[in-house]
Amino acid sequence: MKRVLKLGTLQSRIYTIFTLMIFATVFIMQLVSFRFTMSTVINSTLENNRILLGQLVSQIDSYMLGMEQIAHAVQDDPEIIEYLQHKDSGSPVEYNSIQQRLGNYIHARNDISDIIIVGNGGAVITGDPDSSLNPWTDITQKNWYTDALNSSGETVISSSYVQNIVQNRYSWVISLSKEIFSVDNSKSIGVLLVDLKFNQIKDLCQSLVVGSKGYNFIIDSDRNYIFHPTQQLIYSNLRNEPIDSIYSLLNSSEQKFYHAEGKYFMIETSAITAWHVVSVTYDSDIITDWRFVQISYAIIALILFLVVGFATNRISTGITKPVRKLLAVMKSVDTGEFRLVGPIKATDEIRELAREYDLMVGHIRNLMNENIKEQELKRKSDLKALQAQINPHFLYNTLDSIIWMGEMKQTREVVLMTSALSKLFRISISKGREFIPLVDEISHVESYLTIQKMRYKDKFEYSIKIEPDLYRCTILKITLQPLVENAIYHGIKEVDHKGKILITGKEIDGIIKLEVIDNGKGMTEEEMKNLNMSLNGSPSPSVLSRQGLGVHNVHERIQLYFGKNYGLTYFHAEGGGTRLTVQIPLEEVEV
Amino acid sequence: MKNWYLFILSLVAAFVLFIALSFFYNQNTSKGLELAEPIQIVLKSIEGQPMDFWDVVNQGIDEAAKEFGVQVKISGPRFEKEINRQINILNAVIDDKPPLIILAANDYNRLVESVEKADSLGIPVITIDSGIQSDIPVSFIATNNKIAGEKAGKEMKNLIALNTEKYIAIVSHIKETSSAIDREAGVRNSLKGQDIIGTWFCDVDPEKAYLITLDLLKDKRIGGIVALNEVATIGVARAIKEKKASDRVFVVGFDNAVKELSYLEEGIIKATVVQRPYNMGYLGVKTAVEYLKGEKVDSYMDTGSILITKDNMFKREYQELLFPVSN
Repeated sequence: MKRVLKLGTLQSRIYTIFTLMIFATVFIMQLVSFRFTMSTVINSTLENNRILLGQLVSQIDSYMLGMEQIAHAVQDDPEIIEYLQHKDSGSPVEYNSIQQRLGNYIHARNDISDIIIVGNGGAVITGDPDSSLNPWTDITQKNWYTDALNSSGETVISSSYVQNIVQNRYSWVISLSKEIFSVDNSKSIGVLLVDLKFNQIKDLCQSLVVGSKGYNFIIDSDRNYIFHPTQQLIYSNLRNEPIDSIYSLLNSSEQKFYHAEGKYFMIETSAITAWHVVSVTYDSDIITDWRFVQISYAIIALILFLVVGFATNRISTGITKPVRKLLAVMKSVDTGEFRLVGPIKATDEIRELAREYDLMVGHIRNLMNENIKEQELKRKSDLKALQAQINPHFLYNTLDSIIWMGEMKQTREVVLMTSALSKLFRISISKGREFIPLVDEISHVESYLTIQKMRYKDKFEYSIKIEPDLYRCTILKITLQPLVENAIYHGIKEVDHKGKILITGKEIDGIIKLEVIDNGKGMTEEEMKNLNMSLNGSPSPSVLSRQGLGVHNVHERIQLYFGKNYGLTYFHAEGGGTRLTVQIPLEEVEV
Repeated sequence: MKNWYLFILSLVAAFVLFIALSFFYNQNTSKGLELAEPIQIVLKSIEGQPMDFWDVVNQGIDEAAKEFGVQVKISGPRFEKEINRQINILNAVIDDKPPLIILAANDYNRLVESVEKADSLGIPVITIDSGIQSDIPVSFIATNNKIAGEKAGKEMKNLIALNTEKYIAIVSHIKETSSAIDREAGVRNSLKGQDIIGTWFCDVDPEKAYLITLDLLKDKRIGGIVALNEVATIGVARAIKEKKASDRVFVVGFDNAVKELSYLEEGIIKATVVQRPYNMGYLGVKTAVEYLKGEKVDSYMDTGSILITKDNMFKREYQELLFPVSN
């Protein structure tokens, strides 16, 4: 049986439906779980980024807090207050000592660019004794100065900008400025400026980034950029950040990030500076390993497909294989060969089906055998009846001959013929037995020949040469007489010369071979072939014209009793004429 | 069903799944440009004067290289005047067979031969800042020097109107550089009808510019000097300051060295036209990446210029431009 997928078979249906269903299930499952994994990874990455952003903001805050503490320390320095309150009467020594103090504060931390105190009257104390003030700029016009005066003692934190207060020095700073009050807090005596190196903030922002491309930027509450790694691109409109969408995150408690152009934006506000720090993460940095995940998923799916495929294959074959076997066995009925399925490996239903089928076939076989036997019996009894009948013409003719010989007073001939006729009848009947000893059969045919020879007035002569060892063997009664009758009527009667009939009998390899040979008309090759063939079928009228029904019946009877290996065969006899042989099995008669 | 049949079916299904999974994330990750060799960039000068300008160009280059995920290699002579050295460097770079060369040419004519060689080897060239006398470069990204010159000339025209002396002199940097040629043309374009007494070349040497100016100051009719680059501006300003001539001779310069800005605050220089070197570097690499990806690129891109005076020099939006945040 070829195992190829054929549409329309049960196996292919089961296979196709199962495979499709399971493949689709695996497919959808993989897609869903991949999507889920992806969103989980993205969310956890973003959550980590949020923590990082929170750290950045708190670092900025604590940094600014530290700066404010320094501002407080400077502001509360009694010597400085003392100096500012009495600067008109102050000595240069005092100025220098204050400058030194400021210098100490600056050097205490490497992130302070400058500390400057501006007195009420415009006197400026810088922390660096070597620097000189920029003569072309007006301190009182600076934002940090005016803002400090306007905010009554609160610390003012500026945006990032370029400080030009010291000549020939343009440094990027963030300024903390504060109004200084006299000891009794009664009146303003000046403004303190602490400039932080902007690089500190910049480095902070650039150190806490995610991935190879991610970055942070800072905007103040007026939406001015305090820090952006590519500020120049922003100002030249070569790059834009979606500030409005990012700002809307501040008012939304649910939405934690904004996603656009392959980037995730998150915003966090610094409590001290009121700056908004935005962290930007690129998709490509989150999903660097997705190709690997994707391949893993595909491989898992492949394994599932294979396992499921093989399993489906096994299941569908398991169901259909016994059915196919059953089918093959059932097909044998077509050829008349009733095969049994026998024990079969299959599900209960199929096993039951096979068993019922076997039972059914068994019944059919029995019925058929019985039928054949009945037919044979019927045929045997038919033939027996036929065989027992003596041709009435033969009887009339013989009786006419007897009458005629009686009238002629040929008493010896009358006795001879009558006794032969009597013997003929006695053996024909044989008390109803089918089988008789060969010796009886010989006397039966001899009686027949005696009568015929007398009737045909020595038209022919005969001789019987049968081995005497065979006399006690059994034979179907009335086997030889029809053959001899045939030899006379269809052989000798047709020719003018004196006929001869020879009956021989011998044993060859457990088979008795009897032959009736005549020197009559004989037949052509064609006729002989037809006769031999017609022996095994029903005789056609043209054949019957050449051969008596009796011969055919003898052949049929022998075959019914002994099988197809036995029966009659026509041959050409030497010197013309016909040789008809009979083969029957050698059986001793039971005594 | 045959096993190999099932195997192929499973493989196909797994492959389809693989493709389907791609749709979940591939739409947003544009494919980066994979280059076997870095893009080679040959600048006018890498450590000589003027430093600041090329430092900022470098910052732009680095940012773009990071953003677009490409490798770049920067080289160049120490000084702008070393034209032969730049030719040698360019030839050496061509031998490396880079995917693309970005060039800031020190000479309008003498680098053409090397660029033609690169072209014959199938290496595309993009020029930045200063171009060459050739159609080969696929793109030229620079300040439109003519427009920049016109801005300087227009400012000078306004200033000279307030001055009693009307003669104007031009101090340029190198005679055969396209930037010098174009800026001068722009200046002269805006100053049509004014008395321009001539153009002097300082050969990118501040000392020479200083000496030229000292010479010019001897002529009392001089009322304005336009200096065409950073070195020339610094040299001119030094002479003016020394001779305390800032009220008599008005200077309009180019570029934004710290010293120049200091002179601007001081009032020695009345205005300066600044370029956007950061954008030049950034757009140079961006255009290179676009070209290598097979996208269409503009054959010419103006990175723009801005006139800076004492009044607007501390405006927030110009601060990164004028005072680059050092790394």
